[in-house]
Amino acid sequence: MENILRISKPKLKKRRREKSGQIFLTGGTGFLGCHLAVELLRKGYKVCVLVRSNKHASAEVRLKKLLDWFDLPDRLYRKIRIIEGDISRTNLGIEPGVWADLLKNTDEIVHCASNTSFSEMKKAEVEAINIKGLANILSFSRASQAYCFHHVSTAYVAGKSPGLCPEKLVVNDTFNNTYEKTKCQGEHMAWEICKAEGLRLTIYRPSIVYGHSRTGRSLIFNALYYPVRMALYLRNLYENDILEMGGKKAETMGVQIETDGSIHLPLRIEVHKQGGINLIPVDYFIDAFIALMEEALDGGIFHIVNQKSKKIEDIIEYSSRLFRMTGIRACQAEDFNSVSKNALELLFDHYLVTYNPYMRDTRIFEMAKCGAILRKRGITCPDFDYDIFVRCMNFAMKVNWGSRLFTSGS
Amino acid sequence: MINKNAAKSAAQCRHYAMCKIDFLETGLCPSGPRKHYVSYYPQGRMDIYHALSENLIPVTEALVDIADTCTLCGICDKQCHFVTGMRPVKVMEALKEYVENYLDRKNTVFIPKEDSFLKRLRKITGHEWATNDPAILVTYANDPFPLAGMQMPRYVVLPGTRDEVAAIICLTNELEIPFITRGNGGSVFGFVFTEGIVLDMNRMKKIKIDPDNWCAYVEPGVTSFELQQEAYKCGFRVNTAEPAATVCGNIVCTGTFSTWANVYGTSADNFIDMEFVDRHGKVFRFNDKNAPNVFAFEHKVLPSPGTCTEGVLKLHPMTHDEEGIFIPFSEFDKAVDFARELSQRRIGLALAVLGSHYISTFMSPSEHLADRIKEIFPEVLGINYLVFAVADTYDRDAIKKMAGAVIDSRLMKMIMLGLPRLDDEELIEIMRNSEGNNPPYELLCRTEILPLLEVVLRPSPETIAGAVDDDLRDFYVRLYSRPEMMDVVWLNMFRIVSSRMSRRKHMIAFLVYVPLDKIDVINHINAEFRNIADVHNLDNDFGFLTPMDLGKRAILEYDYYIDHTDEIEKQKIFEAMDEIEPWLDGLAAKTKGVTWLKYVFSQGCSRKENFLYR
Repeated sequence: MENILRISKPKLKKRRREKSGQIFLTGGTGFLGCHLAVELLRKGYKVCVLVRSNKHASAEVRLKKLLDWFDLPDRLYRKIRIIEGDISRTNLGIEPGVWADLLKNTDEIVHCASNTSFSEMKKAEVEAINIKGLANILSFSRASQAYCFHHVSTAYVAGKSPGLCPEKLVVNDTFNNTYEKTKCQGEHMAWEICKAEGLRLTIYRPSIVYGHSRTGRSLIFNALYYPVRMALYLRNLYENDILEMGGKKAETMGVQIETDGSIHLPLRIEVHKQGGINLIPVDYFIDAFIALMEEALDGGIFHIVNQKSKKIEDIIEYSSRLFRMTGIRACQAEDFNSVSKNALELLFDHYLVTYNPYMRDTRIFEMAKCGAILRKRGITCPDFDYDIFVRCMNFAMKVNWGSRLFTSGS
Repeated sequence: MINKNAAKSAAQCRHYAMCKIDFLETGLCPSGPRKHYVSYYPQGRMDIYHALSENLIPVTEALVDIADTCTLCGICDKQCHFVTGMRPVKVMEALKEYVENYLDRKNTVFIPKEDSFLKRLRKITGHEWATNDPAILVTYANDPFPLAGMQMPRYVVLPGTRDEVAAIICLTNELEIPFITRGNGGSVFGFVFTEGIVLDMNRMKKIKIDPDNWCAYVEPGVTSFELQQEAYKCGFRVNTAEPAATVCGNIVCTGTFSTWANVYGTSADNFIDMEFVDRHGKVFRFNDKNAPNVFAFEHKVLPSPGTCTEGVLKLHPMTHDEEGIFIPFSEFDKAVDFARELSQRRIGLALAVLGSHYISTFMSPSEHLADRIKEIFPEVLGINYLVFAVADTYDRDAIKKMAGAVIDSRLMKMIMLGLPRLDDEELIEIMRNSEGNNPPYELLCRTEILPLLEVVLRPSPETIAGAVDDDLRDFYVRLYSRPEMMDVVWLNMFRIVSSRMSRRKHMIAFLVYVPLDKIDVINHINAEFRNIADVHNLDNDFGFLTPMDLGKRAILEYDYYIDHTDEIEKQKIFEAMDEIEPWLDGLAAKTKGVTWLKYVFSQGCSRKENFLYR
């Protein structure tokens, strides 16, 4: 039975204006979650973050480390409330007294916690977080006084659907992986519960998110970064082989140092004639999220994507230029019929197999609703050009692809 | 003055007796093979220094000789480091220094009196081979087993022949003095101690190979390593125990099990005949019509049939094309299933499911590297278990067809020689973040990847030697240049790396025969061992599982690890044992196919069918 909404629009407007409501945010130690937590704090919202402790650090230590990375002023840090818990557990693993208090005092829920692995080997973990974890959060939302549910989903709930992907619930049963499937199921779960319970639901569907477009800063280095990192690793590996070990093995592989000092890596990457990868920077995602949250009071479903996807050939060219590599080239599938794949190509394949569907994306993600709000606020998605690539990769190398993220100056 | 660090090292001796076999071709401690008493081997000197530090013994005539006969040649450092990572030369130096200082100060050297019993013992064996010198006695008084206390024997005697053994046993009966026999291999279960006489069989080391009858005649002082060496020279293989374990003693005690039990069986499967001296001094052979029935099995702890004076062991043929092959698995159940299928289909010779702890420890020449590899294999390569098989060409082809991804001998050699470079931060990060749909080991196992792997790992003796102390590197480079060190078949026959299991701490192995078709029973046993250990905060890990009798049964090893010199850890294992015994006895009583090896001890000559199918 459909309930009436838990809060009227004028009241919601007022609460938002006064910033009097408490926002309960999950996934606060994740890439998008911590960016959102920080931005919400900066905007003056009261934020309460659910954080898991792990064997190395308590929930508080984990989150503090991240917030320090953002250089969050103490006055804002003091405003954040950290709740130790785990979305995969009953009552979110929250201590009973705190749980009771949260039920009473939570106004809005921002659900960012998600397992974003595309690997079928991680199916169980993906389902545990994206389905069971979501169900637990939805149970919380049902029992609480909350009136808005903000669900961070993905543009790829579209699964294998071709053509135009509208900003509405997807009815589909063909997916590229468990991640897509669980995110799609999750949207339906959230929709059902929110509708039944009278919560205002907003679903945010980003495409593939990379670092900050102006600073290059990032907290994760998978997706876009990983193949670049691997190419660089192989480049350095063979350069060392040539310089330290005489280079016989490099020669066998067809790797050599060119006269200008660049390294020739014989590496073909399979691409399609059309399509590319849809990349958005994290700053664009955050700006879009806040705009949608503040403007779309009725809720809805919104694609936060780049209207111009990036061709893999461009990324190969950027990588080759920045890291002084030659020999890496985009190929069609049929090119591999005459010369079978070498070890480097097999290594790339192993990883790229899960990213393949996103590297040859020809779909159009509808942005009518989202676009209208973003235009109103003057928010546009930058093109992933060479300059941004350089900024992002330089930052990645500065922090050694994440291992030196939390050392001073990074 | 006792050197505290040396005393601490001395107390850590694992009693694996690896310093008593020449497993690295370094030669042996010069005094050991001459004097035969364990006291004249590094293991004995470690015990003696520990005993001195604890004021358990005076400086005796034998102790002075034992210290004096140590040439500080450094062989024990190499041998012991290979196995445990310890460097005993420091202890040897400390012992010599202690004795020299003692003598310089003109202190009295204790000379034990020869009593009438000793006189009679010496009459049997010759003066040199029986003693009551405390420095020698103390090296037969203890081992790292935490559940048995120290027991100083009154005499140690080394008979040279079967007749001497019989005469000694008659003498002990006459004077009602208890005795115990030890082959003088490793001692880790606290079984071979007495307040009476220890019969050390170390002088009885004859081996005779009879190729026409496919058997080897072995005296009780012969170790597994020594027998395997002789058999190997003649183109045969023997199903043996750990290299330093004596062949006869191990059969009598445990029945001898190994990964080869898959094809060669265990217990009575191992021998054609054995000769014993019973507790009345009477000699009998199993093939005598009137011999006691040692082939029967009773599910209780029983004494051994007597003192073994000869074993006639089966020799097995080898083919020129045998190689090791490893099949990686993420999940235990799948690995067990695969091993069972191989056994059922009669594919492969030696066969086992190994956990990542065993794999990493066997492969790594240092504890640090082993710890790293133990993490890297599962987390980075997705390898939690390996099914290991020794197989000929035909069987390897079959295994490849059945498994898909396999680590063949070439790849394994590459990994072993390049192991330190697998512990590379960048490589690990790249592999860890790989998002493929298949386990990373599938990629690793592809032939096309080998050229890349060679560049990554730079496999060479120099690379692997980089994992050990600087001063040992040249030695390890030479060692790893020997082809057998990379020959998995050889390593598995001679088992020289298996004693590395006790490198970090003393290992207490629990061995259970299990029904291989009941994975839930196997999982329950593993889980319960783990639970009990975790409750008592004891280090623990799955060891191995080897199918037996065409995959119907298996032997499972689960291991606990303790610092045997730490009283708190000893207490923990006491408490854990209080839980393990009733649980395992209860399980064995109600589950067909479950038999704890504890009940096979001393009934190792029985037919395996009698305890596998109770």
